[in-house]
Amino acid sequence: MNTPKNSEQTMMNVRAELESFPSPVQANFDRARDALTGRLADDKLDDWAQLGLLISKRTVRSWEAGAELFNASPMVQRQLPAGQFISWVKIGDQLCTASPSLAVAYFRASPAAIQRLRPRYISDWAQSCRALYRGTWKSSALACKLFEATPDLLESLSFDELRRFSEFLEEVSHRSYDMSGDALEKGGELFPKLGRDAGAFIGLSNTVAKNSWRHVQPMFEAAQFSLVEMPREQRSSFISLVNRLSTQEGIDPAKVMRDGARAIGGVGHEWRDTLIDLTHRIAAEGSAEASSAFLTTGPRVLERVTFPQMVEWHSRGMQLMAENEGASEAYFKNESSYSHEVLDALSSSVELDRVREIIRMYCRMLAGQEIEVQAAQQLVDKNIGWFQGELPTTEGTTIYLPKVINRHPSKDRNFAFYKVISTHQTGHIEFGSFRFSFERPSTMFTDLRSQLATSNGSALEAIPSEIEEKPEPETAASTNGAVENPEPDGHASIPMSRFFDLFPDRKLGNDVFTIFESTRVDSNVMDAYRGLAVSFKSVQDDALGSRPDMTELPAREALVEFMIRISLGQSTDLVAPKRHMEVARKLRRLIRLMQRDYALVEDAAEATIRACAWLTEVRNEELNEDEFEDLDDDEEDDEQDGDGEDEQDLQGMIQAFIESMQPGEGVGEDENAEEPEDIEEGDDQDYSSPQEVDYRGEFKPELSQLLSQAQMQMMEGGEFGEDETGEMTPLTQEQLQEMMKNSADIDIQEGQDGEEMSPELAEMLENLLKEMQRRDPQAQSQPSGPMQHVDEEGGPLTPSAPDQYVYDEWDFRANEYRPRWCMVHEKEMSSGDVSFYRDTLIERASLLTTIKKQFELVMPEMYRKQKRLEDGEELDFDPMLEAVIDLRVGSTPDEKIYWRRNKTERSVAVAFLLDMSASTAEAIEEAKRPNDDWGAPDDPVEYMVWLRSRRTEGLRKSYKRIVDVEKEGVVLLINALETLGDDYGIYGFSGYGRENVEFYVIKDLDEKFTEEIPRRIDRIAPLHATRMGPSIRHATQKLANQDSRSRFLFLISDGRPQDRGYSREGVEKEYAVHDTRMALMEARREGIVPFCLTVDKQGHDYLKVMMDDFNYEVLPDVSLLPQRLLMLYKRLTT
Amino acid sequence: MATEQMYNQTIIEEYVLSDEPYYLPLADEIEIFEAAYHQRVPVLLKGPTGTGKTRFVEHMSWRLGEQLTVAKPSPKVDASSNGHPVSLPLVTVACHEDLTASDLIGRYLLDRDGTRWQDGPLTRAVKSGGICYLDEVVEARKDTTVIIHPLTDHRRTLTIDKLGLVIDAAEGFLLVVSYNPGYQNAVKDLKHSTRQRFVALEFDFPDEEHEATIIAHEADCDEENAGLLAALGGKIRNLREHGLEEGASTRVLIYAAKLINEGISPRRACQVAVTWGITDDAQVQRSIDEVVSSIFP
Repeated sequence: MNTPKNSEQTMMNVRAELESFPSPVQANFDRARDALTGRLADDKLDDWAQLGLLISKRTVRSWEAGAELFNASPMVQRQLPAGQFISWVKIGDQLCTASPSLAVAYFRASPAAIQRLRPRYISDWAQSCRALYRGTWKSSALACKLFEATPDLLESLSFDELRRFSEFLEEVSHRSYDMSGDALEKGGELFPKLGRDAGAFIGLSNTVAKNSWRHVQPMFEAAQFSLVEMPREQRSSFISLVNRLSTQEGIDPAKVMRDGARAIGGVGHEWRDTLIDLTHRIAAEGSAEASSAFLTTGPRVLERVTFPQMVEWHSRGMQLMAENEGASEAYFKNESSYSHEVLDALSSSVELDRVREIIRMYCRMLAGQEIEVQAAQQLVDKNIGWFQGELPTTEGTTIYLPKVINRHPSKDRNFAFYKVISTHQTGHIEFGSFRFSFERPSTMFTDLRSQLATSNGSALEAIPSEIEEKPEPETAASTNGAVENPEPDGHASIPMSRFFDLFPDRKLGNDVFTIFESTRVDSNVMDAYRGLAVSFKSVQDDALGSRPDMTELPAREALVEFMIRISLGQSTDLVAPKRHMEVARKLRRLIRLMQRDYALVEDAAEATIRACAWLTEVRNEELNEDEFEDLDDDEEDDEQDGDGEDEQDLQGMIQAFIESMQPGEGVGEDENAEEPEDIEEGDDQDYSSPQEVDYRGEFKPELSQLLSQAQMQMMEGGEFGEDETGEMTPLTQEQLQEMMKNSADIDIQEGQDGEEMSPELAEMLENLLKEMQRRDPQAQSQPSGPMQHVDEEGGPLTPSAPDQYVYDEWDFRANEYRPRWCMVHEKEMSSGDVSFYRDTLIERASLLTTIKKQFELVMPEMYRKQKRLEDGEELDFDPMLEAVIDLRVGSTPDEKIYWRRNKTERSVAVAFLLDMSASTAEAIEEAKRPNDDWGAPDDPVEYMVWLRSRRTEGLRKSYKRIVDVEKEGVVLLINALETLGDDYGIYGFSGYGRENVEFYVIKDLDEKFTEEIPRRIDRIAPLHATRMGPSIRHATQKLANQDSRSRFLFLISDGRPQDRGYSREGVEKEYAVHDTRMALMEARREGIVPFCLTVDKQGHDYLKVMMDDFNYEVLPDVSLLPQRLLMLYKRLTT
Repeated sequence: MATEQMYNQTIIEEYVLSDEPYYLPLADEIEIFEAAYHQRVPVLLKGPTGTGKTRFVEHMSWRLGEQLTVAKPSPKVDASSNGHPVSLPLVTVACHEDLTASDLIGRYLLDRDGTRWQDGPLTRAVKSGGICYLDEVVEARKDTTVIIHPLTDHRRTLTIDKLGLVIDAAEGFLLVVSYNPGYQNAVKDLKHSTRQRFVALEFDFPDEEHEATIIAHEADCDEENAGLLAALGGKIRNLREHGLEEGASTRVLIYAAKLINEGISPRRACQVAVTWGITDDAQVQRSIDEVVSSIFP
């Protein structure tokens, strides 16, 4: 259509017409035309020129738009196809019709904006901006401003976001152009800082603009600080939170933003998401008001409580909200008294986890033996006879305490309560509750135990069985069977059991014994720890305050309660049943006797016999309140000598006791009761145990003694394999079963048929057996027969490849080596990724610097001044003086008179042996489950399955495993060791069975540190079992070949040695322990210093044997490993 | 010059104990030491810090001196003491890692007129026939052990190569060394050729009763506090190797008792004298403080 000629003509015409405008128009046109010619088809060029002219001519001021168009054209054209370029101009024309200044702004912004805008959005963009223009000067200014800002905005916004932003601006502009303009400006500054969250913020702005436009400006201001400084991870969820709240009436988003930012910034990064989540939940279920209040109060609440406690506070608030929404607002504002109450309780509560280590060391100091501290629930979970997760208790080696104490409004008092209960429980250990011996005489009584045991043997036989398990009538048959078919020594192998066997009513016996023994322990504790007396007394008083009303109890129970009250120190206002005043007095005297400092556990036992004899004579009948009477507090009781009276009463006592065992006596529901005064037999109640004294907790003497039997044997017997001493012999399963049935410790309903054990009891029995086996290596050998170390078949092994090595293994039973018994496969660790190494170095950077600093302190010692040299840096003053003296004296002076700074020979070689057994896959937070290691099945196939299941269990977990901590330690170690220049080797070991001990070389002793090493570290992973012996021997071999002056072997493990055929259930575990010990001794014979670092908290008991006079350390906290490892290394080698 | 002061000729004669140093025997150590001394068998004292090793040597030097004084009065009686028994000369050398052989034997010194030979403490003890006590002997340099070898066997001689002399030890001379076999110094250990020249006496913390007596005597405090402090000491020692490298020594308990005597509250006294002294670990400190507050009202 257009010929070049025509085009030329058009151009000339347009140019001519443009001359009527101010000069820049034409100048710009010329420049643009030159640039566009050739790049644009002629017809398009014509269109462009025409349109430009048109625009310029539209109104008086539109020449400016034309000038801008021409100015921008070359740049825009370069970015757009011809057609779109023309539409771009046309859009400008339309704008110009509305307002030339819009077109000016449009053209001016275009070159930069179009760079960031898809061509198809150009028109939308113009529309969006134009929408702000409503014919007024102010609106035009705003629209222009948006045009201008577009290029910058598009840096951080998508076009869609931009459009929504302009919608927002429009919404606001209905109210105020200034405000809108202000928002535009602030947005421009804000969006780049918000990054990806800018879109979310625009959404929020829209919400706010719609709901409460007045808040827009403050919100933008608040966002400048609060949102920008908020951690990026939480920002978007926080914005959506604010958005959610802003839809509600009366919410000031600026305030929410500020408060929220402060709250979120104030908590540790691990809690931030939770915090937002909590706020969301309030908003979801209740009012936004409450939610925003929560954000405001949060930091203040956190000043008083920890975050998890705040979560608790929050959940109480949510409960409240469900009941009464209005109240929750005040709650979350922390303006309600309930909120204060909850906070007080939370903030003053003491959690076991936070004080466990302190209490553990405290108890250890008091008891003088290794004591663990655990949550009581853990013992209950074992299901071996303890049931109360909230009560403190002990089984002789571990103190179990409630998870949290919040009885008092102050932290100190709550901690004091922890202290009192742990002192009491430790007291049982310290003052020998579990060292009860059947034979040891008591100090204040004539001993009736043995007399009863012998003289009443027949009496015992004669007792109808239903008496024995009186509280549960159904037990008759089962107990019957047991009595008819007793093992001669039966369950009597535990002194405690023998003792309780004396009692027809074991439950009563146990209750009474508990009272006496606790009294004795309390009094011993008060005596030894007078500093504790105040808190102890107040705890006792509290306990007294919560005792049941005696007058509501039937007679016998009332008397038992009476004893408890005395033992808790109540001396006034005591009542006792009128009819049994004399018994009450006698009981009181017994309690007082227990409070003497020379009372022994055997005294408590003798007192129990007496008290039970008296108590069984008391019928457990309901009493009216008026049948109680004040007890005179005649203190002369105390003055009387107990022994004298006992002597007189002795025969009567035995008689009474025997009688008490006669049928019908003291047994409420028994129908053939013969007592003459037993008229209203229907009134008699079953005897039930008294309510526990909270601070004394559950006391299970029989079970505890049973469980501590194993340990006591180990301690007293010294060596394994020696015959166990005295009256304690290992129990067979039948005996244990028998004991469990009879035990008053275990109060469980038995099966109806009586013949078989109820499933609960059976399960408990099984658990208990396991627990005992875990504790007692001796018991292991019982089922599998003596002296036979059950192992795989086969004899000595022969290596068939150069990287295989065979080693002997020590069989402690046979007291000789099994020749060539284990095969070690030495493999180089494959290489993995280097990122673990790098990440660790970054993560632990601060630790690394401190460690390096400390290791550098070793350096000056290495670069020590070397004196007395023939040649050196400078004259050494002392030898020089000596030389001068020598010259004066006339003798030949020593020529070595120089010193030099010299690197002294630090000749250290060290091998690190890392445990790569499956158990290292355990997460470090998780409580160790020692049982697991011994749950390994015998069958090889099952064993592998078991191992694999444990492995995958570990793999699934994303959190840190023990092996990761080991690896971290190695990484840090390598860095430190490279500083020192010591020779070091790092090896990992694992394996499966004796012929398959895997020995992984991560860095060999004489290998230089290369890029490869970090990659190998990455591959350290939990594999199979732990056969320590051969690995130690192999490492010893390697070290022995080094000619360093000092050589060390560091064993880093997470538990006992354990492997198939090395230690399993049913096989003596100490085989492994002994072999390991022997391997360590071999190392020492080679002049190598072994050191064992373990993270197994149970470590002390077997390490004591395994490491005996070697050095070892048990880490209380796995995460300390890297740090501790380096410290130990430094200390051992310098 | 500092060294000249240190090796002042009068030291050995001056360092005699005219009052009996308090020592409470726990077993037969006194008889053993006496027997060893009579047979001139060198003695090695092992044990943790603050268990009375040094005090024991002082006590023995006094005790043996007294016996000697009674047996043959003239040589050992100090002129000023008028026949009052005095101790054997006791030369104590605290060994440190830079202690060299010449620090023990002696060296030439320069003075105005030229050179002068100065005997070292060991030489003095050898000449004067007293007890030479090398405290923490493992700390000393290895070359020192070579010197003590001929002194500790049948030869009983000291070779001074600089002077070209061999000195026979005087009649009353005895070498006593001490060391603390803590597990931290795997590198520093006595060589067997050295340790097998001594009879070894093991020292450990006394039992509660004895310790209470010691505390009461040393700090001159009342028996109740002494008893409680002794109990505390026992409890803290239960933590040895389970958080503490060494337990509270009797010495720190005595310090606590002395502070209590001055009117400091027992809990506070224990905190500053015991808890803070033996560990820097905050948790261990806290748990020891808890024991303190349990024991002391």
